[in-house]
Amino acid sequence: MKRIAVITTIYRYLSHAQHFADRFLVGYPREGKWHRPDMKVVSLYVDQKPEGEQSEDRAREFGFTVYPTIAEALRCGGDKIAVDAVLSIGEHGDYPQNELSQVLYPRHEFFKECVKVFEEDGRAVPIFNDKHLSYNFEKAKEMVDDGHRLGFGILSGSSLPVTWRLPDVDIPYDHELEGAVMVGVGGSDPMDYHALEAMQCMVERRKGGETGVAAVQLIDGDEVWKAGEDGRWSLELLEAALSRSDTPCGLTDEDGRTQNLIGTGELYKLVDNPAAYFIEYNDGFKATLLMLNGAVRDYCFAAKLKDEPVPVSTQFFLTPTPNVTYSACLIAKIEELYETGVAPYPAERTLLVSGTLESCLKSRHQGHVRLETPHLNVEYRAPKESQHARR
Amino acid sequence: MDNRPKIAAITTIYHKYAHTQHIVDRFLEGYGWNSRHHYPPMDLVSLYVEQVKDNDISKDRLERFPTMKGYPTIAEALTLGGEELAVDGVLLIGEHGEYPSNDKGQRLYPRYEHFMEMVEVFENSGRSVPVFLDKHLSWNWDWAQEMYDISQSMGFAFMAGSSLPVTWRTPSIDMPLGTSVSEGVCVGYGGVDSYDFHALETLQCMVERREGGESGVKWLQAYRGESFWNAYHEKLWSQELFESALSRSHTLTPSRPGFNNPYPTLDEMKEIVKDPIAYQYEHNDGLKSTMILMNGLVQDFNFAAYIGSNQDILSTQMYLPMPPARTTLANFFSPLVNNIEKMFLSGEATYPVERTLLTTGLVAAGVDSLFDDEAKIDTPHLDVSYQATEDSTFWRT
Repeated sequence: MKRIAVITTIYRYLSHAQHFADRFLVGYPREGKWHRPDMKVVSLYVDQKPEGEQSEDRAREFGFTVYPTIAEALRCGGDKIAVDAVLSIGEHGDYPQNELSQVLYPRHEFFKECVKVFEEDGRAVPIFNDKHLSYNFEKAKEMVDDGHRLGFGILSGSSLPVTWRLPDVDIPYDHELEGAVMVGVGGSDPMDYHALEAMQCMVERRKGGETGVAAVQLIDGDEVWKAGEDGRWSLELLEAALSRSDTPCGLTDEDGRTQNLIGTGELYKLVDNPAAYFIEYNDGFKATLLMLNGAVRDYCFAAKLKDEPVPVSTQFFLTPTPNVTYSACLIAKIEELYETGVAPYPAERTLLVSGTLESCLKSRHQGHVRLETPHLNVEYRAPKESQHARR
Repeated sequence: MDNRPKIAAITTIYHKYAHTQHIVDRFLEGYGWNSRHHYPPMDLVSLYVEQVKDNDISKDRLERFPTMKGYPTIAEALTLGGEELAVDGVLLIGEHGEYPSNDKGQRLYPRYEHFMEMVEVFENSGRSVPVFLDKHLSWNWDWAQEMYDISQSMGFAFMAGSSLPVTWRTPSIDMPLGTSVSEGVCVGYGGVDSYDFHALETLQCMVERREGGESGVKWLQAYRGESFWNAYHEKLWSQELFESALSRSHTLTPSRPGFNNPYPTLDEMKEIVKDPIAYQYEHNDGLKSTMILMNGLVQDFNFAAYIGSNQDILSTQMYLPMPPARTTLANFFSPLVNNIEKMFLSGEATYPVERTLLTTGLVAAGVDSLFDDEAKIDTPHLDVSYQATEDSTFWRT
């Protein structure tokens, strides 16, 4: 039975640590069964313990130990690494922000402490790192490089790429793409990160595979609508993405009506401060994330396939709170990493998204300028088989 | 414009989140469909609303869509104020509004009455047009049978039922046509003579695809409260299928504080679900189906069945994006309206109304069994046999 160390910032109700780690303790819904992983959480490190946190309660009930350091958690208090896998969840908790409004979660620090143990003890084990690898691309890259150098599997990222899709579609593998628009909502960062990763898991399947990002620009306000009129992002693809939304606001909130948000112009009244994240890839492909707070409350995507008249579009289904069964979809992928030692999809996706987001935030910080991003030359191939929830 | 079908909507009430609003608004305002904001290629030209209360929005819709006219009677809505039937399709939406209940607790929505008024216009005009009727045909089985018989004898396309058979599924799967099915279960929520119908349609739209097609139902027995748990312990339905259905839920009430998604123990389930209800019934070909309402435990509709010679489990959730908690739009009405549009354009129902005739009878039998101290009810009248469509008709695009 695989032994798991959980390394986290905070363990409280509805924190990522709680709903991720708990699934290893109490099981989770998977393919129409209540699946109980054949794995055991044996140790836990938690960085912050405010009142009401749950780490000691869980340790008592499920028979594992909370250790004061990451090294001790990985060694279970002994001399040598004594776990087969690490679940690293640096999300939630009280951490400072930098000038780009990024929360400085200690994911890189957690990861490097694990790597130190791997190197000292001469054995490396797979790591799942929740969400983006780090707020900083150089740190994120060091993490991925460590994985390659020491030969351990890294899985990372958001639940959006693996959750249910409405409808259940994927980009046909190796098909030429002519454009993509993602619609997201929520704060920056974190929710723009989720939206960017959702977009990336689709566009990375395009012809030739992922080539990395050449330049980014983040603009906001009415400039976003003007850019649409100028054809910098596709209104057709925005309509396609919005056709998948279950949450138009405004008049729908008032009396339940369906709305052609673009056609009636309501969209432009509803969105308080739109933002467009323009991503230019090394192969010339362009994709745009539109953050449309006030218009909708879900995450929808559309892409134009070459020689296909109707765009591909879907909603990344964020299932309701508190079950948030979308995280169960991700746990299934983490189990696969732990079982096989190999990540079901490359950490390079998350590396690229981590760096893309950081550069977009720098663009905003520097007055919405276009920034060339030669450092984001992250090339990879997505697995051919679709990875989202389908069974 | 003249080639576009003209549609009449005959409704009980028109307010926010009433079925009338969900359905009629989609004809007026269009709806998101397959990467576009789709406008049905037909005109909703007349509206009859039986009850206009403080929360009415039909006045707003009539003002904003002047091509739609309001009429004080069903006959006038169908004749557009003239002598003869003047529309090409009819929506009958008898759901919501203030109507009395009978001593069995059935809400006496006037679906039969509205249907018969429509039929009178058809008869007087010497022609009939396709009809969609929302939800079950009637609270009264004999009336439902009469409505069905009339549609057959007059030869108009007739569709009815719930959104559950046509909405998204997670996962997006269908019962393979012609496979053997030995037992089916639906675990849902809601009340008697309301959401039980949705759960029955959920079950029926899957098991009707089995080997040999639908053969009708020979008996039904309801279980409630203590007797439900006794039946559970006696394994009158498969506990494995029950667990499989619950494992498709996105809304499992946490049975323990501090946990967001644990699987409840039986004791915890009994604590959470104060009034569990099951309708169990046997089809004429021997298939056993069980419809279960677990109020308090789930807020979605989940299906599981044993199929094929290896007794594999096939399970899914029929997902309802349900406002106002989860969404703002009840978009499960979009695939329903899309199927209705297809019928209005082609003159052919996209799935058989016999499904809803049968589920109408099952609701009535369930209500009767509960009213009669959970007696086993023989249902020789439910010898409704039919074949499912070859193509899947749920939302996939």
